[in-house]
Amino acid sequence: MKESLLEILCCPLDKHELELEDAEYDGDEVVSGDLACSDCGETYPIEDGIPNLLPPDMREETPA
Amino acid sequence: MSNRADVRRTYDRIADHFASTREYAWPEVEAFVADAPASSVGLDLGCGNCRHAELLADRTDHVLGLDASRGLLETARSRALERGFEVDLLQGDAARIPLEDGTIDLAVYVATIQHLPTEASRRTSLNELARVLTPTGRALVSTWSTAHDTFDETESFDTTVEWTLPDGETVDRFYHIYSPEAFEAAIEDSDLELLAFELSSGNCYATVGGS
Repeated sequence: MKESLLEILCCPLDKHELELEDAEYDGDEVVSGDLACSDCGETYPIEDGIPNLLPPDMREETPA
Repeated sequence: MSNRADVRRTYDRIADHFASTREYAWPEVEAFVADAPASSVGLDLGCGNCRHAELLADRTDHVLGLDASRGLLETARSRALERGFEVDLLQGDAARIPLEDGTIDLAVYVATIQHLPTEASRRTSLNELARVLTPTGRALVSTWSTAHDTFDETESFDTTVEWTLPDGETVDRFYHIYSPEAFEAAIEDSDLELLAFELSSGNCYATVGGS
């Protein structure tokens, strides 16, 4: 994802702003890191460049 | 098939085969996008392989594709690379959209609401779409309906529809099949403004504005 996307992304639960943490870049692309809600503290992982903003109750890992 | 994670899991399992059968954009969606004014930010909600985000990319400066299934998002990533369009992919829930209020000028929410397993989640997803649209934003919301030849029913109902993988294995998918009247009422009862409603090939299409 592009870092500029942070301007319109928000926490799916309480709609507060997200902060990018532990980012790793490939050029302009953020390929990994976490998006942390500035209010509730829930974190959402960026997985191979795609932010996983599923609420926690839908997020458990996919079975093989 | 009762909870939200199940729907995501189903599409993760069938993603590659499903996307391969969803090559072409729907003509009703093409017409909606072609008639829309050039816009800043577009959203394909329940984007699957992004065949409709691809249309939005022609009318907007910046397109987002959101889907619950990571497997489908990977098919979208491949399609965007092969066909040379730009889309920012997000994994998320159509009933809890991770976007700020009033950020989307042009959206399509096509053949997705029918997979949300509760009345509450379907209603919330419509209100969420209204929330993220700009004051002049427009969206096309579609669903499969009882008007399709497949169904004898005339009232809305819940069902499962099998997906058959190439090896013959079948996977059940949850569907809420709206009657056209119930779908129109659901839009009118939501925060969306209903601008136009039509039935085409057994699908209902609502053109809507934000709240």
